[in-house]
Amino acid sequence: MLTRRAFALIALTFPLAARLYAQEGTIKLRDLYNKDLSFSELAISLEGKRIFVDGFMAPPLKAESDFFVLTKKPMAVCPFCESSADWPDDILAIYTKRTVKVTPFNVKILVHGVLELGDMTDPDTGFVSRVRIVDAKYK
Amino acid sequence: MIALWDGLPAETQDIALVVLLILPALIVGRIVLRGYAPWPLIGALLWRFRWANGLFVLLIAVSVGMGIGLLAQERGLRQGTAAAADKFDLVVTAPGSEITMMLAAVFLQPSDVPLLDGATYAAIAGHENVALAAPLGFGDSFGASPIVGTTAEFAIHLSDGRIEGRMWQDYGEAVVGALTPLQIGDGFIPAHGVGDGAEHDAHGGEELHVVGRMGATGTPWDRAILLPIETVWDVHGLANGHAPEHGEQIGPPFDPAYFPGTPVIIVRANELWANYALRSEFITDRTMAFFPGTVLGNLYRVLGDIRQAISLMTLVTQSLVAASVLLGLFILSNLFQRQLALLRALGAPARFVFAILWSYGAVLLVVGAAFGTVLGMIAATVLSRVISARTDILVSAPIGWSEIHYLAGFISLMTLLSLLPALAAFRKSIVAGLRS
Amino acid sequence: MTMPLSVTDCVVRSDRGRVLLSVPSLELGPGVSLGIRGPSGAGKSTLLYALAGLSDRAEGSIRWGDTELLALSTARRTQFRAAWIGMIFQDFLLFDELGALANASLPAMFAPRSDRSALKTRAGAQLAHLGITALKRTVDSFSGGERQRVAVARALSNDAGILLADEPTASLNRDAADALIADLVAKVRNNGKTLIAVSHDAHLLDSMDQIISLTDGQIETPSGARPA
Repeated sequence: MLTRRAFALIALTFPLAARLYAQEGTIKLRDLYNKDLSFSELAISLEGKRIFVDGFMAPPLKAESDFFVLTKKPMAVCPFCESSADWPDDILAIYTKRTVKVTPFNVKILVHGVLELGDMTDPDTGFVSRVRIVDAKYK
Repeated sequence: MIALWDGLPAETQDIALVVLLILPALIVGRIVLRGYAPWPLIGALLWRFRWANGLFVLLIAVSVGMGIGLLAQERGLRQGTAAAADKFDLVVTAPGSEITMMLAAVFLQPSDVPLLDGATYAAIAGHENVALAAPLGFGDSFGASPIVGTTAEFAIHLSDGRIEGRMWQDYGEAVVGALTPLQIGDGFIPAHGVGDGAEHDAHGGEELHVVGRMGATGTPWDRAILLPIETVWDVHGLANGHAPEHGEQIGPPFDPAYFPGTPVIIVRANELWANYALRSEFITDRTMAFFPGTVLGNLYRVLGDIRQAISLMTLVTQSLVAASVLLGLFILSNLFQRQLALLRALGAPARFVFAILWSYGAVLLVVGAAFGTVLGMIAATVLSRVISARTDILVSAPIGWSEIHYLAGFISLMTLLSLLPALAAFRKSIVAGLRS
Repeated sequence: MTMPLSVTDCVVRSDRGRVLLSVPSLELGPGVSLGIRGPSGAGKSTLLYALAGLSDRAEGSIRWGDTELLALSTARRTQFRAAWIGMIFQDFLLFDELGALANASLPAMFAPRSDRSALKTRAGAQLAHLGITALKRTVDSFSGGERQRVAVARALSNDAGILLADEPTASLNRDAADALIADLVAKVRNNGKTLIAVSHDAHLLDSMDQIISLTDGQIETPSGARPA
């Protein structure tokens, strides 16, 4: 539930975020969330649309899969703490159109795919994600 | 346009790409053959020089087959090894080479690996996000089968619960992989070590019994014999992981004080992010944590570069073979120069003769490419069987889209090139042809 | 349907410039048959190929009806040949791997789609008329006489008004040659076609309306005068 203050905050940040998007065409991971970790107006407005997000490919759990984790910072060391609290706005689940070719964790990539919101359990791994980019490609 | 393309499913993109790649050949064919019905004649000429043509087709088929077989095999190998590592999300070992540790833990290649202590195991097993923490104890063998001590949970995880017979419940019991020669009810005596240097009497001849058999996994674990890790510790005269008052217990929790050590801990987390958290948490001065998937992915990246070099080489070889075949055709066309001159004398336009020559070459190329595909499939299948038999990694190498794209591109390129020798149709004097 | 032939100052040179054939004048009425005789190398085939528009080195004038053959481009000459001329060769030049009908209807492969079925029907009718009944069997199993009949049917499949034959009986035994001559002459007479045949065969030459002799590329006997 949004508080009045949070709402005002969104109202302030949204045009800024929208302008960033318009200028670069690229979404920052943090722009998808509000401070209280609910989805931002930007995220909701872009749901089901094809967007660009940049970041780094975390070392993948599985070889030859169509899934990887996009991180805000290179994952030389874990960029997030040991709890799930920082999980959402630092990393993003990416489901690719084609089998992932592993990119070194320190090379910046640009992901292009359809934004999906809401909890989803991966049928293969059983892992749950809140936000995803699906049908994605990257370079 | 790009947005439309991105929105298409992968399969549609692949099909569209095939169409796009083969289109030049189809367009050329359509234009060259427009208004003509020359197929009986082309068939007659092909039949007349059937031995030479057979040789041409064979040459093209072998070169195409090599290229296709190699591409399919490389992908099959990737998929096979990736599938073999599927059950191993996160591996914790003592610091060392990730590749060596992955080969030891995932692919059961014997190697000398240092041990992790009980405290480390307890820290991992007790972590709130860890669903499964299985120690693996290597070192013994029976015949060609490595013996691995672990927990019942891991055996169930590995086989997806497909265990014929039952899980072990006591020290002397074992569960075997699908490819081991042992049957349920058989007894065996483990040998210390692996391979030719194994010492057969080192463990005092204590016989173990097979009580269960896992379903096939398509991994080297199909060859393995799984025991409670307590048994492995016990036959080596070590503590068995439990305090004396719980001496008969099988499986976790283990008492760190009585934990003799394990070279590898296989970890499965209950949350995606936890894998990353655990990985960073257990990269310490005494432990190393890695995802076999990442190690393999990096290997594939290197392999991918090699594959690109090799596929470029095969493409060049293939084009050279095809070019020499076209040159051969050009020379062969002198043999039926009289027939071609006759056609001109009967009122056939030069373009008709051109169409005959081009179609002749195109038929050889397409037939060669088709046979090459079959050859490539056979080669990849045979090679996969050999690799599967040698490594126990299930490798299958069916023809995929990249091979079909490769074929379509090759056919288009070569049918365009075969326009060149067909130009001979325009240069020959008809009278000279008739008199030759 | 056929047309008259008028050759004026026609010269064909070899690629080294030597004169192979020189015909100051040759006139032939429509539907007339002409025999060309002469020793080997006298330029008989050269004349025949020039009349067919196959020679790249012919100069002067070769006129079929209103068509000046030597003024046409190679492509137009090919078109003219397809429409008006049928050719017969000493060694038949059939495709051994094809059947009689496929050989006889060979021009259908490059004829306009609309003409193909008529052409095939005509080829079949010609074969039947010439006594060839095995239409599908490949022609490599045919006798020489049968093969030349297939070649004649092929030459007639486009309903050509002009038949040009280069030693059509030279590869046949006497009986087969005589039978072929009878059929060929009957065909051109009954249908008002022009036949020009290069030959050493006295039987064939005797059946022609006119005969000319070529020696060293020159016509010896004045055209129009049939030897008594």
